[in-house]
Amino acid sequence: MTTITAQTTQVYQVFIKASAEEIWEAITKPEFTERYFHGARISATADGYRSLGPDDAVWGDAAVTEYDPPRRLVHGWRSLYDPELAAEEESRVTWEIEPQDGGYCQLTVVHDQLEGAPKTAESVSGAGWMMVLSGLKTLLETGKPLVG
Amino acid sequence: MTDDDLVFKALADPTRRYLLDRLFERDGRTLTELELDLEMTRFGVMKHLRVLEDAGLVVSRRAGREKHHFLNPVPIRLIHDRWIDKYTERQVSALSELKTALEERR
Repeated sequence: MTTITAQTTQVYQVFIKASAEEIWEAITKPEFTERYFHGARISATADGYRSLGPDDAVWGDAAVTEYDPPRRLVHGWRSLYDPELAAEEESRVTWEIEPQDGGYCQLTVVHDQLEGAPKTAESVSGAGWMMVLSGLKTLLETGKPLVG
Repeated sequence: MTDDDLVFKALADPTRRYLLDRLFERDGRTLTELELDLEMTRFGVMKHLRVLEDAGLVVSRRAGREKHHFLNPVPIRLIHDRWIDKYTERQVSALSELKTALEERR
């Protein structure tokens, strides 16, 4: 049996039929994120990144190191929603939005600097980011959250 | 070709599925690392990687002079959401209907 260790740099990419501005809003404003990001109300501004759970519990609180709307957002990541994960070192999430032909944008999410956070790496890999991005695409393209 | 076509076409080849499995084991490999245990020319491996990149299953990123390849599982997830869920849902509902029908006969 082989054990697969979750990667310390994870890259996810999806094409979304929406403008860069619409995608930017959807990833930085709580009224959008709560519809596809496990119910988290996330606000990302030049001043910081904050994520609140449905019961107002703090799920994420980190610095924003790059803020370039509507193209690039870089912020710290600590999984404060789980005590075991919260104890790990901070990692980094980069969002890149690149407009393409035909009204599409390519959205790339890079979650890296996960060397000091193996359990976080494990929990966000696989279904984690995939569900978020698949839900974001569905929301922007159909106006409805992904059910299931 | 639609996005789905590109993904299905990319997956319909054992070498390309092997390359995805290699990246699943350890992500971020260079072309040199990927061609190591393939009995194929560098050009052949590049061609397969290109098909995988076109389908969005592999994303390459440059770090200095090196190009690293990352497995991007999102297109497979989208196909899962679009196709697999639909049919498994039907199977489950067919089973639950069967159960209801059988139990009503008692």
